[in-house]
Amino acid sequence: MPNMREIRERIESIKQILKITNAMYLMSSSKLKKARKSLEATEPYFYKLQETIESVLEHTPHTRQMYFDRRSSIPPEKRKKGYIVITADKGLCGSYNHNILKYTEQELAKSADISNCYLFIIGQVGRQYFNNRNRNSSKASVDGEFLYTTQNPTLYRAMEIAQLVLDKFESGELDEVYVLYTDMVTSNLQETRTVQLLPFERRHFGKAQDGTMKKLPKASFLPSPEEVMSHLIPNYAKGIIYGAMVEAFCCEQQSRMTAMDAATTSAKDMIKDLSLLYNRARQAAITQEITEVCGGAASLNK
Amino acid sequence: MAKTFSLEIVATDRIFYKGECEHLVITAIDGLLGILAGHEPLVTALPAGELKYMVDGKWRYAAISDGFIQVMPDKSVILADSCELPEEIDIKRAEEARERAQEKLRQKQSIQEYYQTQAALNRAMNRLKVSQKHFK
Repeated sequence: MPNMREIRERIESIKQILKITNAMYLMSSSKLKKARKSLEATEPYFYKLQETIESVLEHTPHTRQMYFDRRSSIPPEKRKKGYIVITADKGLCGSYNHNILKYTEQELAKSADISNCYLFIIGQVGRQYFNNRNRNSSKASVDGEFLYTTQNPTLYRAMEIAQLVLDKFESGELDEVYVLYTDMVTSNLQETRTVQLLPFERRHFGKAQDGTMKKLPKASFLPSPEEVMSHLIPNYAKGIIYGAMVEAFCCEQQSRMTAMDAATTSAKDMIKDLSLLYNRARQAAITQEITEVCGGAASLNK
Repeated sequence: MAKTFSLEIVATDRIFYKGECEHLVITAIDGLLGILAGHEPLVTALPAGELKYMVDGKWRYAAISDGFIQVMPDKSVILADSCELPEEIDIKRAEEARERAQEKLRQKQSIQEYYQTQAALNRAMNRLKVSQKHFK
């Protein structure tokens, strides 16, 4: 039978943790409400953007626009790939961080030469994870100056990020750019996802469901297709990054809330079990004391 | 009753307008552009500017910032970073933004920063212009 004092201390410490997890639960649930609201507001834009770009590209004549440049002169294994990975700023959110990091590792493992991969990580947890990994062995390089937080995504931040990767793409520092984020399918189902940002691939678009190319009338572009595309693509990149950030932030809050709720529940369970154990130990101690007193008295009477 | 076409204006934070429209006038990168029902398919980019559309014979105004428009035979879609009614514009905030941008422009900046500040200034000026014109 464990010591009474030990059990009491254990209960106390669990109570302290319970307070913390409970507070975190409440905080994340109120943050989730806010994040949900912004997600709901952004989602129509996010989907409409993808849909519209798709249909715009169907009507686009072939252009020599630089964002369409597939860098076919460079062999596929030599192409420099950039990954924008969205993780959380903090831990304690269940498997959220673990999932996206593992997913990123898998994506990185796919490429032939990992030293050609460049990581742009939004969120403290992912940054630390990959920095630590890099110290151990030569792996994908992490952009150390890319410091953005995942908290409360803004359009302005998305614009800066989009600008940065577009510049790198233009100057040839990157040949392909992907966004890796967690998508909120339903409130209970989250899915890690990749979106290819650059180069702009027409073969993703422009195909009908049955796989045949649709014949569509060409739309006119004012003043010229190149000019329009050079405005449209940065805009698209910004929209996609912003949408991904909003989705990921909402997922983070959701998983933190679930994790903290589970932690609170199991802390309560533990306290219940331990108090039972404590009461038993106390009862045993009392019984023992009585037996001792009785035994002592009986020996005196003899 | 004039012929109408369906118009959808989607901003990043909400669906601004969805419905029928008789006449649409936008500021495209190279000038004003009027769109009526049956316009030819068209795609163009929109800088920060003024937008007006006619519903039931009445003009409605809005200030939009960067985006693009796709005109299709059956419908038109405008996607923009933000879209506001004149009465929704916070004049004080826009003025502050304008001053901030002007202040920044006086300082030494990289080319990229310069473009960003200029874009911010354009957005602020456009907001002020639209709100002063249509909301007093």
